Amino acid sequence: MEFLPIVYLGYMFVSIYFLSLFLLLYKKNRKIMFNYPETKKIYEITAIVPAYNEEDTVEDTIKSILNVDYPGLKEIIVVDDGSTDNTWKIIQGLAKKYEKVKAYTKENEGSKACPLNFGLKKVKTEIVAVIDADSYPAVDSFRKMVGFFDEPNVGAVTCIFIPRNNKTFFERLQAVEYNIIAFTRKLLDYVDAIYVTPGPLALYKKDALDKIGGFDKKNMTEDIEATWHLAYEGFHRRMCLSTSATTTVPKKIKPWYKQRRRWNIGGLQCISKYKKCFFKKGMLGFFILPFFILQLTLGLIGLSIFFYLMTTRIISNFLYTKYSVSVGTPLITMNDFFITPSFLNYLGVILFIAGGLFTILVLYIINKDLLKKHNLFNVLFYLIVYLAVYPFIMISAIYNFLRGGASWR
Amino acid sequence: MGNQKWVFLKALIVTLIVFDIGIYLGYMLENSRVDEINKWYLEAEMEILDQTIQKDALDLMDLDCRTLEEENIMFGDKIFKEALEIDKIEKASRIVESINFQHKRYDLLRTLFWMNSIRIKEKCKSEFHTVVYLYQYNEPSLEQKSKQRFFSKLLQELKEIYGNKILLIPIAADNDLASINLLTKKFEINELPVILIDEKTKITDVESLEDFEKYLN
Repeated sequence: MEFLPIVYLGYMFVSIYFLSLFLLLYKKNRKIMFNYPETKKIYEITAIVPAYNEEDTVEDTIKSILNVDYPGLKEIIVVDDGSTDNTWKIIQGLAKKYEKVKAYTKENEGSKACPLNFGLKKVKTEIVAVIDADSYPAVDSFRKMVGFFDEPNVGAVTCIFIPRNNKTFFERLQAVEYNIIAFTRKLLDYVDAIYVTPGPLALYKKDALDKIGGFDKKNMTEDIEATWHLAYEGFHRRMCLSTSATTTVPKKIKPWYKQRRRWNIGGLQCISKYKKCFFKKGMLGFFILPFFILQLTLGLIGLSIFFYLMTTRIISNFLYTKYSVSVGTPLITMNDFFITPSFLNYLGVILFIAGGLFTILVLYIINKDLLKKHNLFNVLFYLIVYLAVYPFIMISAIYNFLRGGASWR
Repeated sequence: MGNQKWVFLKALIVTLIVFDIGIYLGYMLENSRVDEINKWYLEAEMEILDQTIQKDALDLMDLDCRTLEEENIMFGDKIFKEALEIDKIEKASRIVESINFQHKRYDLLRTLFWMNSIRIKEKCKSEFHTVVYLYQYNEPSLEQKSKQRFFSKLLQELKEIYGNKILLIPIAADNDLASINLLTKKFEINELPVILIDEKTKITDVESLEDFEKYLN
């Protein structure tokens, strides 16, 4: 058997494995996925909102936090991270208007972890809510999330994120992606394998954050690193599928690309930092770390094969065209249109359809109304084009990571 | 929640089952295609045997040359079309290796057909041209691949123009078959692909269609 078919079969094996894993987890837990533990205990919560040049969104973010229906919310610490726009002025105004809002400003140190750690030092409550300054927690979010902390050793809880801006085609593609991520994150929750409690909204136990020494300012994705660190220290991470936060997603390709590259660099930094935990430290070493490495490896191999095939095809077509044009024979004949598919083609099509059906199933489960907005074309475009861009971003991330030239902004 | 970790093993078992079914179905699909080639081969083998007997009979008795020529041309067209089909099937073949074996058998059959055609041409003073296309089968370089693709199209084009005037015989020349090795040595073929016209003219580069056509007129 040739090398390339073996590689293709390897990809198919991995795809079938993860599809089976998610479907089995869904089958077992489908009736309880949207459940959340009710609690009689009122946890005291402090929200930390780090803000850098967020003059357009920070006011709505703070108002949405104030609007949350949870009685335990004690304080909202808004940390201006040396913004160069009107963010600090807006925060100050809000602090004067609302008693719970405390405004702070500090010099920018080039990492989101710094304002978070700054705010963390001022927290006196048992629970810390970390909320991005362009995200908006749902009214019931804290109430539905805190019950997870009744379970011993839970260090962090997260929820669904919905793009606030989902009018354009590009924003809707991100909405498809966010729904898939939320759904699979919930499924990974059942095997204690949540690998990130993202910035738009995550509740943390203050003790847990103290134990890991706060957020890592060297990491480009402090939320991924904190989650891995919590897993390393034996804390569980939980996902609440019955509530959400809306968040502003990039409207254009360039900021989207930069955001995804940053996520990838953060992932690489985490792999580098925790590489010694391979097949150690519970699910961190047995699933999260291998999963990230597998993603990276498959992406790189896939891209290498893509470039190899593209290059050889271009050279081959160039030579063929050169010969044909000089003699005047037709470049394409009817015979070229009759392709005999290999069994790998059939298997690929079946897997693609299975992936498409899984995506539609996820959109249906998460939000039936949302599915109406996502027509089949969006789903197909997401599966064929959107996901195909990821390995290219990964290459750029690896380049930046190796150069050590990555920066937050 | 801890007991749910068995799901990793369950998923592996499901994957192995699905994957094995996929491989098995793929194996069945490719095998059915090989069977189809085998069927064509057996039919072709019978026809070549029939022709060989006809030619031998012609040597012994005074029989009609035209019928033999016509049948020879028809057989040539048939195995050329089959060669195109086999090429497509080979490109789509991923697991079953026996297709290479079938290819070798076909190469021998085509060589036999070539030899038969030479004898018929001599005996009947026929006007058709034998155009033997010798190509690299195993790991051709990128340049060889492109050239072979071009030669293949060019010969198909010529066949459409000249019809029964030419007998097109594609043979893989690097399959380590003694008879083919002997012939390539005899015709001093040192590079592939090459087009051999009437066992005299070797063409490795085609400048224009007219250059090519002059050997056929």
